Amino acid sequence: MLLSALLLLGIAAIGTVDVLIERYFTQAINAHSAAFSFGNESLIDATRKALQGDIGEVKREAPWTLYIVHYMYMIYVGSGIVFIVAVAELIGIETIKKTAAGFLTLGLGMIVAGLFTILMDLNIPKLYHMFLSPQYRSGMWLMLPLYALYIPMIVLEIYLILVHRTHWIKRVAWVILLLSLALEFVEFYIQAKLFNMNSARHLWTSYPLLPLYFMISSFVASFALMILYTYLSYSTRNNPLCKALTGKLQRWTLYTVMLLAVYEATAYLFIDPKWARIILFGPFRFLFFAYLIFAIGIPFMLLLKDFKNHTVKVIAALSLIFGTYLGKIIFVYGGNAYPMSDRFGVGFEKYGEYEATKTFIFFFPPWSEIAVTVGSWGIVLMLFWVADRLWNITQIDNE
Amino acid sequence: MNYAMALDYQSCIDCKACEVACKETNGVQLGADKQRIWVTQSEKSIFGEPFVALHPSQCNHCLDAPCVDVCPTGASYFAVGGIVMTDKDTCILCKGCMEACPYDARFVDDTHVAVDKCNFCYDTRLIEGETTTACQATCPTKVRLFGDLDDEESELVQLLKTRKFYVLKEDEGTVPKLFYLLPEHDPFFAMNSVDPNTTIHTWESFKPILEKAKAKRSKQWQAPKL
Repeated sequence: MLLSALLLLGIAAIGTVDVLIERYFTQAINAHSAAFSFGNESLIDATRKALQGDIGEVKREAPWTLYIVHYMYMIYVGSGIVFIVAVAELIGIETIKKTAAGFLTLGLGMIVAGLFTILMDLNIPKLYHMFLSPQYRSGMWLMLPLYALYIPMIVLEIYLILVHRTHWIKRVAWVILLLSLALEFVEFYIQAKLFNMNSARHLWTSYPLLPLYFMISSFVASFALMILYTYLSYSTRNNPLCKALTGKLQRWTLYTVMLLAVYEATAYLFIDPKWARIILFGPFRFLFFAYLIFAIGIPFMLLLKDFKNHTVKVIAALSLIFGTYLGKIIFVYGGNAYPMSDRFGVGFEKYGEYEATKTFIFFFPPWSEIAVTVGSWGIVLMLFWVADRLWNITQIDNE
Repeated sequence: MNYAMALDYQSCIDCKACEVACKETNGVQLGADKQRIWVTQSEKSIFGEPFVALHPSQCNHCLDAPCVDVCPTGASYFAVGGIVMTDKDTCILCKGCMEACPYDARFVDDTHVAVDKCNFCYDTRLIEGETTTACQATCPTKVRLFGDLDDEESELVQLLKTRKFYVLKEDEGTVPKLFYLLPEHDPFFAMNSVDPNTTIHTWESFKPILEKAKAKRSKQWQAPKL
């Protein structure tokens, strides 16, 4: 695990360096630049790129890209794991209680990795302005106090689980668990508000009950990751526990997959037809069908029957993880897919006579963005490895 | 004061003088999509005869701007006069404003690593005492007219009282202040240059909308951060 973590962190580091070089150390010019450094080689190069090529890190038509997809996935799914464990603790599901510390650390690692990913998308040196000039109505700003509270709460939950369960700790744990559940609902509400406030992107504003959609789509992936984690951590160590736990997770995964299927079957009745057409019948349709197959079709078939073989459940989990990621790609990229250039209602416009009219917006992410998002899994593995070394979080709690 | 602009787009010849003047006056980043203002083209036909509709466009300085609501640091804010400004010093590049804008008005200025857009030349011309924007001053066919909606005697209001006009994406509820004057000499061009579902306004019909939006948001107007 340590080797994998270091490899992924290395990939993330290389991607990060490239992003920072492009953002802060690549010369960009304006109309006045030549007056200040006439004849400068880098100025000449920058002028050539400005006139002849595609410049800049961010595309005007699609500002939110893979960083947002990945941060959504990691944070929502990580939060989903924390939510599931908190509920299991409260209602006394023993199999999950025994392995709660490991699950919570996995969830925490994913949230931290998600926050790292979104940090790479921002202008980091200016972030202190979130404190100096806070805008309380902004969904984006609300994430600051939310995670400032939420992450310590998860750490506290892990601590309370790890210290052996004395009477007063059990009482405190109940309060903390209830608070964390309340925070979860607030979290999904704020995340939905963040997307809902973008009034121009009708996919996000017309998606019915967006906080609920985020919760269901995340819980599906959370259960899948929990199945995978259980198999990797306990299949050789404690097969009966592994069997009992994956059996329970299998059932709940199946229920949430069915909920997701119902949601997806009905959501597009409400979504703005301009966006729905692009996703269901337009250039996104193959991605959408792949999402349905991997996130609903395959898992439903594999999880419906209780196969004795763990491998079947693991395949279902992997299919779910992949499929739900595709779902997030469709959500974010789909939101930007319908061009804003249809301003006058007479069709899409082009910015100049030598340009093609864009009827569909999609930009493949640059390699550095992919490296940062893939490499962020290294944070999850490293955090998990450190926590396991220090506090033995994968130990089965039999108290 | 409530600054706005009217566009007599039937006169536009796509000479790009306004785009060049904007970039030169305001030091805008060079690059194809690094435009504060631009002229779009849509290809249509009238009875089989092709024509190109030219639509100058820019930030609409909406009275109920969604880009101001989403900004986490107040980098996107209303200045006095209802101008939607961007403060590059406090922008954290979250790009929420770019997502919120229905008019594709914003872009990332890589020279400042912040979001940029039209600000009616506030910091380069208006504070120097000029009464026109760079694009208006340079336009050879007098497409653009900048002015104060609160001044009933202003050239802008006088023009809006005499011409019919429409605004873009009215359904979004942003109350934009870029008024596209309906072409008056060519009814076929007029019909083909705008969606048939677009509401054509007169000053009397649109003024209450402006006043309502201004009453709602003018409390947030502040001195510009220059």
